[in-house]
Amino acid sequence: MSDGAGRPPAIQIFDVKKSFDHGLVNALNGVTLTIGQGEWVALVGPSGCGKSTLLHLLAALDSPTSGRILVNGNDISGLPSLNRYRRFEVGLVFQLHNLLPNLTAIQNVEVAMFANGLKHSEQGERARNLLAAVSLSHREKVRPPGLSGGERQRLAIARALANNPSIILADEPTGALDSASAETVLDLFRRIRNERGVTILLVTHDREVAAAADRIIYMRDGRIVEPSLAAPAG
Amino acid sequence: MYFVSLTARNVYTRKVRSSLTGIAIAISIAVVVTMGVLTHSLRRTAISILRTGDADFSVAQKGVSDVIYSSVDEKDVDLIGSYEGVENAIGVLVDMTKLDEDHPFFLKLGIPPGDLEAFGVQIVAGRKYEPDSQTEIMLGYRAARDLGKTIGDQVVIDDDTFDVVGIYSTGQVFGDAASMMSLVGVQTEERKPGVVTLVFVRAVEGANLDEIRARIEYDRPELATVRTESEFGRIDRNLELISAANIGVSALALIIGAVSILNTMVLSVFERTREFGVLRAIGWSRMRVLLCVMMEALVVSLTGAMVGVGAGFVAVEILARSPDLVGVFQPDYPGGVFGRALAIAFGMAFVGALYPAARAALLRPLDAIRHE
Repeated sequence: MSDGAGRPPAIQIFDVKKSFDHGLVNALNGVTLTIGQGEWVALVGPSGCGKSTLLHLLAALDSPTSGRILVNGNDISGLPSLNRYRRFEVGLVFQLHNLLPNLTAIQNVEVAMFANGLKHSEQGERARNLLAAVSLSHREKVRPPGLSGGERQRLAIARALANNPSIILADEPTGALDSASAETVLDLFRRIRNERGVTILLVTHDREVAAAADRIIYMRDGRIVEPSLAAPAG
Repeated sequence: MYFVSLTARNVYTRKVRSSLTGIAIAISIAVVVTMGVLTHSLRRTAISILRTGDADFSVAQKGVSDVIYSSVDEKDVDLIGSYEGVENAIGVLVDMTKLDEDHPFFLKLGIPPGDLEAFGVQIVAGRKYEPDSQTEIMLGYRAARDLGKTIGDQVVIDDDTFDVVGIYSTGQVFGDAASMMSLVGVQTEERKPGVVTLVFVRAVEGANLDEIRARIEYDRPELATVRTESEFGRIDRNLELISAANIGVSALALIIGAVSILNTMVLSVFERTREFGVLRAIGWSRMRVLLCVMMEALVVSLTGAMVGVGAGFVAVEILARSPDLVGVFQPDYPGGVFGRALAIAFGMAFVGALYPAARAALLRPLDAIRHE
């Protein structure tokens, strides 16, 4: 399975299961999913349905109990360096942005670029370009506590793009934002997808947010289900 | 942004805590520097007595608290001088006395005038004292200059008046700042007939010094031979005790500093658990996290060490001016003391930061991100 350019799908998940507490809690019960290159997919479901767990597996922050996950055709369980994978293949955006409060906006982007092979001056230039891309050039020297919620999330997106990843994994990125800020962030995702061809997997429980994506996948009780079977999201 | 500037910023962000830790380290390092300079300087002063004579090695009574209290029978001087391979053995009685407030520790060396040349003494003005004279004295040229005395002048020592008959030079600062008079004169004055403090031994060229020393110590087990500075402790227990105290203080300073660093960094890592989780999630390796914490500790430690070295320098200068140490303690700042302070600062950072750094590096990113 490959796209028109001969590239493998961005994400392929085969019968992935994940359990916690020695099998007492099953967060994922055999998830199988394929996401194409440059596709924007929203993963929707109620709290505890396993969508964040799936995102963490894709970010290599955790490993599946069974099943396989291929990113750009490579099984991530067999990668020689998960650090390199996290640095170059995926960009993470958290609900609570998780920026470093003591660093300025541009430093928060640069901090993701250590050991990425770029010269110091090139890192600075790329960070400035990314801040421009998320309309934060004028806030370059401001620390996160001085930014609004929407600005912080845009900054988090800029950080996620620091090493030109092919996939953005966003966990409830608009969950803590007002509707106007949420709309700005969604516009930004749309622009990133269109301009950079980045694949986006966005986890949300908000169906309005999910509607911005190309495709919506519903989850319930650790499984992917038909829309009609998905519980009403809050 | 450079990695170093990130670590410096992290330290600066917690400036109160970092400063307090830095102060603890500065105090530790100041003590290390002060004790190091004190020990080195006292050792140097003490060893200068041995170096005054132009000898291959010196002989003194073994295990005395201070070399000045050494007591060697004059017959032993003759015995040593008779050994094969010994060119000459010169017995010297050393007396330390208070001249005035500016010269609380003034040295009088009792030495037969016939041995002066072999002892490495050059008369630069006047003449030698008479062998049995108890009123004639020679001043080292530094002492003469310092006291403003010249040939024909008189100098009062311990209420006794001496005529300055000569000015000499030994090529040793310590010897040139002292005085010399007849051995008999000093023995009489100090009520130590037939006794000398040190024996300065010069061997003939090519002689085996170790064999000669071994023979002396075999024949006279109450005596010890000293050739190098490191052997000085054999004839000066006080200096050995000070050296041991110096090592102990350095070890204690290392422990105190390391515990301070440990406390600070453990707290810092705990508070920043989430931050380390995020950094790992965006691609930082365990090694980079480890380095980050270690470098923060190093920045605190080295900054504290710099302040400590400055404080130690001030403490040494204050000590050197204290009435009890004027004359005996002339500060000398060897590179080794500062090298050791630097090594201890590195040691503090390494030992203190190792556990918190390892703990930060081994955090599971997902657990760390969820940390409240």
